[in-house]
Amino acid sequence: MLVLTRRAGESVIIGDDVVITVLEARGDVIRIGIQAPRDVQVHREEVYKELQQANREAASPTEDAVEAVNRMLRPSSEQD
Amino acid sequence: MSTRTASRPIGATMTDTELDMPIIDMAVPMPGFPAHRQFVLVRLNDDGLLYAFTSVDDPELRFLVAPPEPFFPDYAPEVENEVFAALNTKDPDRLLVMVVITAGVNETTANLLAPIIVDRDSHRAIQVVLNGTNMPVRAIMNRTY
Repeated sequence: MLVLTRRAGESVIIGDDVVITVLEARGDVIRIGIQAPRDVQVHREEVYKELQQANREAASPTEDAVEAVNRMLRPSSEQD
Repeated sequence: MSTRTASRPIGATMTDTELDMPIIDMAVPMPGFPAHRQFVLVRLNDDGLLYAFTSVDDPELRFLVAPPEPFFPDYAPEVENEVFAALNTKDPDRLLVMVVITAGVNETTANLLAPIIVDRDSHRAIQVVLNGTNMPVRAIMNRTY
């Protein structure tokens, strides 16, 4: 891992068009600002990983599971 | 721009059976599925309550998605300007919100933190993270209507 020291107000540039600026450092909390092209998504890592996991769990449900959801969606008059 | 697009077979280059289904391009791939950039929405329920968001490249890959209104009436995600830009959105009223469903035989949940937003005009979509909302990734789904 590349390690750099930056002060508040200073930035690093990743590639040509991603700029990360340290806005404020207070104790162990660092506020950073990120400028990136719109096709580069920026997420908190833990949020992104949770979303990856949730998407994988949601992907390609079994026919039984799909049928169970469809049953839930049926108007109650049609349920047994 | 003409308003006759509805009668034009947008997906006519596809070789499978879903010829009249517009292909939706992901502005950004869904997290966990970087290689899947094109999907079609296949209706699974007569009332329009359930769809399969199905990969064009790999029809084995599909996500169950649903409009949130019937299930989560208070759910009103705010879409930021960057999303409009990513989707080439001209008219925000043409955006469609779909929540990704995790289907279980015993319990079904919906991802309210990261809905899929589809622009019905540009046919572009993105799964957005509603940062700062504390929305659940796994909200239990019930019929509320």
